[in-house]
Amino acid sequence: MIQTNVEHAANLVQAKSDAVQAYMMHHMMDSHEWAWLPHLHMKLPHFLTVNGAMVIGVAVLLAVVLGLTARRSQAVPSGLLNVLEFFAKYIRNEMVIPFLGEKDGRKMAPMFCTLFFFILVMNLAGLIPCFYSATANLGVTAALALVTLAFMIFGTIYKNGFVAFCKGFVPPGIPKAMLVMIVPIEVLSMFIRTMALAIRLFANMLAGHLVIYSLLGMIVMFGFYAAPALLGALGIYLLEVFVAFLQAYIFTLLSAIFIGERYHPAH
Amino acid sequence: MLSGSIAGVGAGLVTIGAGLGIGLVGASAVSGIARQPEMTAKIQVTMLIAAALVEGVALFCAVLCLIGTK
Repeated sequence: MIQTNVEHAANLVQAKSDAVQAYMMHHMMDSHEWAWLPHLHMKLPHFLTVNGAMVIGVAVLLAVVLGLTARRSQAVPSGLLNVLEFFAKYIRNEMVIPFLGEKDGRKMAPMFCTLFFFILVMNLAGLIPCFYSATANLGVTAALALVTLAFMIFGTIYKNGFVAFCKGFVPPGIPKAMLVMIVPIEVLSMFIRTMALAIRLFANMLAGHLVIYSLLGMIVMFGFYAAPALLGALGIYLLEVFVAFLQAYIFTLLSAIFIGERYHPAH
Repeated sequence: MLSGSIAGVGAGLVTIGAGLGIGLVGASAVSGIARQPEMTAKIQVTMLIAAALVEGVALFCAVLCLIGTK
């Protein structure tokens, strides 16, 4: 059958759009094949996927680099130690102690520092050209949120006892008739907030990558006419760096708030 | 006529809600800072917490729209 020029061009764009969509699907979902470059793929063993390898790699990297850096602590720090001390001091003084009290805050500050640095480096690693961001996977963020949930439930039971844990769900100053409605909502909100922690981090990271891939995909589909999309992609890329820091900060802050609410219920 | 999935319309509506919500939070934070400049740090932290919670709801619905296009 004979196609007109317009139909032919439209079919080409449709074919290119399908190819771009296939590329995006392949790169944003987990797989057993690491795509270093478009024509350089590396197969991973069957027990390892791309996001799992990134989680392990970032954990090993942080353990080695931060461990070695903290070992040579000096009276007047400089270099990487200075940056780490700035972050750790900020996390302990502004994020943990205001919500967890002085004693518990100092004890749990390393846990929140771990969460913060781990999430931050995983977010930033996704922005480096040949690497994937593990936090763009709902399983990874759900695991991190489950750590917070474990502290909220088992930490409170271990610290205050089971009875105090149950009494923490009853807000003070509510008439008895409304308690029947309020207490299930409080219990449910504990789980929903944890889920929201996971989904917030996951959706932020995934959306950033999605927008960049879509903008660059327009150049593939439309050729030179889509050149201004490069500026848009650069702008979104810079915004993503900011969002990486912000989402790590928000995750740690909200974890501290939720755990503080359970440890020291407002009476 | 029109083709595609209505989840796209849903995603656009979610954006309206998120934009309004975070804009309101930012507006009241700015007016609070204008009244008492010495409380800037506390107001900023509170603003970030509220903005993150509102954005969490919006992104939750955005994920639902992404799943809904299947």
